[in-house]
Amino acid sequence: MKFEAKKASMRMGVAALAGTTMTCAFPALAFASEGEATGGISAILPDMAEFIPMLVIFILLWIVLAKFGWPKFEAMLDKREQTIKDSLEKSEAARIESERVLEEYKRQLEDAKSQAASIVADAKRTGEAVKADLTEKAQTEAAGMIEKARAAIETEKKAAIAELQGSVADASIAVASRLIGEDLNDDEHRKIIERYVNEAGSFNAN
Amino acid sequence: MPTNRHVVKEKVATYAAVLLDGAYEAGGQGVVLEVRDQLERILRITRSNMDLSGALEDSSYTPEQRETLARGVFAACNPILVDVLAVMAERGDMALLTRVWESYNDQLERKLNVSVVDVTTVVELDDHLRDLIVKKAEADLGTSVVLRERIDKSLLGGIRMSANGKRIDASVLTQLESARNVLKLSTDGGEC
Repeated sequence: MKFEAKKASMRMGVAALAGTTMTCAFPALAFASEGEATGGISAILPDMAEFIPMLVIFILLWIVLAKFGWPKFEAMLDKREQTIKDSLEKSEAARIESERVLEEYKRQLEDAKSQAASIVADAKRTGEAVKADLTEKAQTEAAGMIEKARAAIETEKKAAIAELQGSVADASIAVASRLIGEDLNDDEHRKIIERYVNEAGSFNAN
Repeated sequence: MPTNRHVVKEKVATYAAVLLDGAYEAGGQGVVLEVRDQLERILRITRSNMDLSGALEDSSYTPEQRETLARGVFAACNPILVDVLAVMAERGDMALLTRVWESYNDQLERKLNVSVVDVTTVVELDDHLRDLIVKKAEADLGTSVVLRERIDKSLLGGIRMSANGKRIDASVLTQLESARNVLKLSTDGGEC
């Protein structure tokens, strides 16, 4: 770019020099209209009285610009070139970094997806296990409750039978006691006593 | 060195021996049996009357007060028995009365070769039954037997005999109770 600027500067200098040379070599062209009227070609040729000072001023301006302006302009262009170059390098680095980060993100995303799938699978397995465990517990508890209910029913049944037996026994004994107490006379009682004494065991047996 | 248990045992045996010997010297076997009966009634009274038994054993009374109380309460009994009870009350030994009664029966059997058989029936025994019971008891106990008869209608029938802590219960009441227990406990035929 710097080279292009120098080349442009050189072209400007060459053009200015050619103009100056042409003016000096062919003053008739430059001042053709001096001796003629203002018509014809003199209409497009410059007035030498104006052209020379302008040329001098142009050369002076060109020298001043070439001496003082162009270095600053060139420095600015260099700086701009460097800035653009740095920016391009930075953007390239940023692009490379972004691609790396993107790859990293993609990789992490894949890992996260695989982990999520693993977690879901684990959760599913755990859920199935919990479900099976709960089902088994529920079945066990139900079986226990049924067994307890059966035992309670059996106990109640036995208690009812025992109560019925007790009632029947009490009634039977009460009837027997009443019959014995009312129906036996003294002689019959004595016969019972005699039989019992004969059948009773020994004092020494106790 | 005798232990406290041996001392108490000797004390009980001494009370019973004094009572038995005194009664026997006072009137022979008849008085001995009379004293036994009175002692048995006193035991029943003291067991059922906690105020009386508590007062006779109350250490807050002086020995003289307990002796006076015993003599006053049991004044109608045989004098020998009253004296022994008064001494026991004075010494605070009324709690030993049950053991004295048991020892009295033991010594009665050992010294006089007599066993007292308590017979409980629903009706009064006739002579035939008395002979039958005496012969059986003498055969079982190996001593002379004296019957003490009681009537208890609650037996419903049969007989209940006891001697020296041994007992034969052939009453209808007991047999019915046994039958009741068998009927209640038996499960044969109870299953539907």
